Amino acid sequence: MRKVTFLTLALTPLLALPASAQSSTGTIKIGAITSVTGRFAEFGKMQLAGFKVGVAEVNRKGGINGRKIELLIEDNASDVNKGLAAAERLVNAGVPLVINEYSSSLVKAQAQYLARQKVPNLIVTSSGDDITKPGSDYIFRLNQPATEYARVIFNIFRDNKFKSVAIIAGTGAFEKSVADAAQDFAKLYNITIVEDQRYDKGLTDFRPVLNRIKAKNPDGILMVSYAEDSVALMRQAREVGVKPRLFAGGAAGFALPDFIKDSGSAGESVITATAWVPQLRYAGVQKLNVDLKTALGGQEPSYHAAQAYAGVIVAAEAIRKAGSTDREKVKAALNALNMTTAFGPVQFKDYDGFRNQNPLAMVAQQVQGGAFVPIYPKSVVPRPIKFER
Amino acid sequence: MDSASVTAFFQTLVQGLLTGGLYALIGTGLSLIFGVMKVINFAHGDFLAIGMFITLALFKAFNIDPYLSLLVVAPAGFALGFLIQRFVLARLGDRLGEGSMLATLGLGLIVSNTLLLTFGAQPQSINVPYATTTFQFAGVQISIPLLVAGLGTLVAIVGLNLLLYRTELGRAIRATAQNPLGAELQGVKTTQIQAIVFGLGVAFAAIAGVLLMPLLYTFPTVGENYTTKAFIVTVLGGLGNLPGAVAGGLVLGVIESLGAFYISNNYRDAYGLIAFLLVLLLRPEGLFGKTVKRV
Repeated sequence: MRKVTFLTLALTPLLALPASAQSSTGTIKIGAITSVTGRFAEFGKMQLAGFKVGVAEVNRKGGINGRKIELLIEDNASDVNKGLAAAERLVNAGVPLVINEYSSSLVKAQAQYLARQKVPNLIVTSSGDDITKPGSDYIFRLNQPATEYARVIFNIFRDNKFKSVAIIAGTGAFEKSVADAAQDFAKLYNITIVEDQRYDKGLTDFRPVLNRIKAKNPDGILMVSYAEDSVALMRQAREVGVKPRLFAGGAAGFALPDFIKDSGSAGESVITATAWVPQLRYAGVQKLNVDLKTALGGQEPSYHAAQAYAGVIVAAEAIRKAGSTDREKVKAALNALNMTTAFGPVQFKDYDGFRNQNPLAMVAQQVQGGAFVPIYPKSVVPRPIKFER
Repeated sequence: MDSASVTAFFQTLVQGLLTGGLYALIGTGLSLIFGVMKVINFAHGDFLAIGMFITLALFKAFNIDPYLSLLVVAPAGFALGFLIQRFVLARLGDRLGEGSMLATLGLGLIVSNTLLLTFGAQPQSINVPYATTTFQFAGVQISIPLLVAGLGTLVAIVGLNLLLYRTELGRAIRATAQNPLGAELQGVKTTQIQAIVFGLGVAFAAIAGVLLMPLLYTFPTVGENYTTKAFIVTVLGGLGNLPGAVAGGLVLGVIESLGAFYISNNYRDAYGLIAFLLVLLLRPEGLFGKTVKRV
C-alpha cells in the first residue's frame, strides 16, 4: 500500500490538471480512501483486502475496455482532518471517482467535500443515514444505511414477541443513526424502550448503565458501538449479570471476527446485524469469500471486505458505461446503473428521503459455539436462534 | 425502595468503590510526586499506558498472565521514573513550575508516540478466562478482576504507608517533602530521594495499568484520560495529601457510578468534573486538605 501512496504523492505536483487530463491510454486510476492506520485500522485491513480482490478481478476480465485499473489508496489515519486532506489529494490527482469508506463521522466530511468539488463518490461501508439523506447528486451509497441495521434487529425482536428493549449506543454519527432508527422501529412495532443510554468515546466502564438496565430486565438489549467497546460491553454485561433474552449488536464492532476472539465466552449468543454473509445466495458469493480469505492470509473476511470489493466492481462498471473518465459522465452512469455483484444487487434510488441510495436489506447472525452463523432472514437458510433465557 | 433497587444501589456502590480504588492508586502516585517535588506530572497517564502495553506485550508474546507481569512492570516503572527524575527533571534546576510541567508534558508525548509507533493505534485487549468471572456477595455481583484491582490498590497503598512511616528511607522522603534544604543539611541525599519518589510514582501508575489490563482495552493515547482522572482525584483530596488522594479516588469512583446509574450515563465525565469545580470553588485546599486540621 505504501507504494500506492507514494505514487499519489508523485502525482501531486500535477495539481493543475483537470479531471479529464487522465491520459486516454494506460491504467485508469480510481481513488479510494480508507483507514489504513489508526483506530479503524482493523476495518481498513478488511477493506484493503476487498479492494485487492476487486481490482484483480476487473483486470483479469480485461479491465475497462482493455485498460487496466489501479486504485490510488489514501489513508485517512482514522482522523477527520487527515481524511479531508486525503480527499483533497485525490481530487487533485484527477481521479474520475472516489470510493469512500468506513467510519460515518469521517466519511460524511469527506463525502461533502468531494461533492462540493463535483467528484462522484461511491460509499461502500459507512452507514450513517444523513450521508445519503438528504445526500447530494455526487454521493452514491451501495451499502445499507443505518436504518436497516436497526430494522433487521427489530424484526427479530418483533418476530419473537419482545415487549421491552434497552439501548446503549455511542455518540458517533453511525451509532446515533442506528439508535435513533431503533427508536422509530420500537414505536412502529409497539416495543417499549425502557432505557436509551448514549456514551462518549473513551468511556470504559459500562457497569452503572448495565446495572440500570438489569433492574428493568428488558427482553432485548441493543448495543451500537465500535470494536473495542463491544468487547468491553459484553464482558461487563456478563460480569454485572444482566440477562435479556437476546443481546443484539448493531454491526460495527460486533460483526468483526476479532469480536469473537477477544470477547471469548462473553460474546456467545450475541446476535448482530451484518451487511453480508457468505451464506447469501448471489452469484459468486462463495468465490468471493475464498478470494477474500486468501487476500487476508487465511483470516475470515467481514462484510467490510465484501463491500470494498463491490465498490471496485461498481466503480469499474460505471466508468465502462460512461465510456470516459469524465466525472460528470461517470456520475450519470452511476445514476443509471443496475447490476448484481457478489455483495448484492446495486441500483441507486431516491426513496424515503434518501438520495442515490442502494435499497438493500441486511442479514443477522449469531455467535454460536464461537462462530458466526446466519439467523435471519429466510433467504440465508437460518439456524434457530439461541436465547439467553 | 424495594429490595431490587436496594441491591442495585449496593451493586453500583461496590463497583464505584472498586473503580475508585484504581483511581486512588493512580492519584496516589501523582500526589506523592507533587508532595515531595511540587511537580505536577502530566505524563502520569502515559506511564500507566506503559504498564498496560508491557502487560499486553508479555501476554501476546509469551502468554504470561497479566498479574504475573507485575513482577516485571513494577520494577521497570520504578527504574524508568528514577532515570527520568535523575537525568531529565533534576537537570531543570530550580525552575519549578512551568519548566517541569512542560518537561513532563513532553515526556508524555514521547511515551504515547513511541507506543503508537511500536504497537499501532488500534485498540488491543487481552482475553483471559477470568475476565468476566464474578462471585455473589449478599446479592451483589462482584467482578474478580475488579476486586483484585481493588485489593492490589490496598496492598500498594498500605505498603507505601509502611515505607513512609516505618523506615529510614520514608523519614528521608518526608523530610525532603517538608524542607528540601533542611533535609540536605541533615545529610539526606535529596537528589537521590527525589529520584526514588518519582520512581515510586511511576511504578504506581504502571501497576494501575497492569491491574486495568484484564478489564479493559488499551491504545497508545489511553493515558490522557487517566492523567485527567488522576488530577481530579488529587485535587479532590488535596494536592500532595496521600490519604486525601485515596479518599478522592474513592469519591470520584462512587460519584461517577451513582451519577451514571441514577441520573444518566450521558454526562458521566461531567459528574467528576462538577465535583472538581465545586471543590476548587468552595474548598481549594481539597476535601481533605491541610486546613482540616486547623479547624
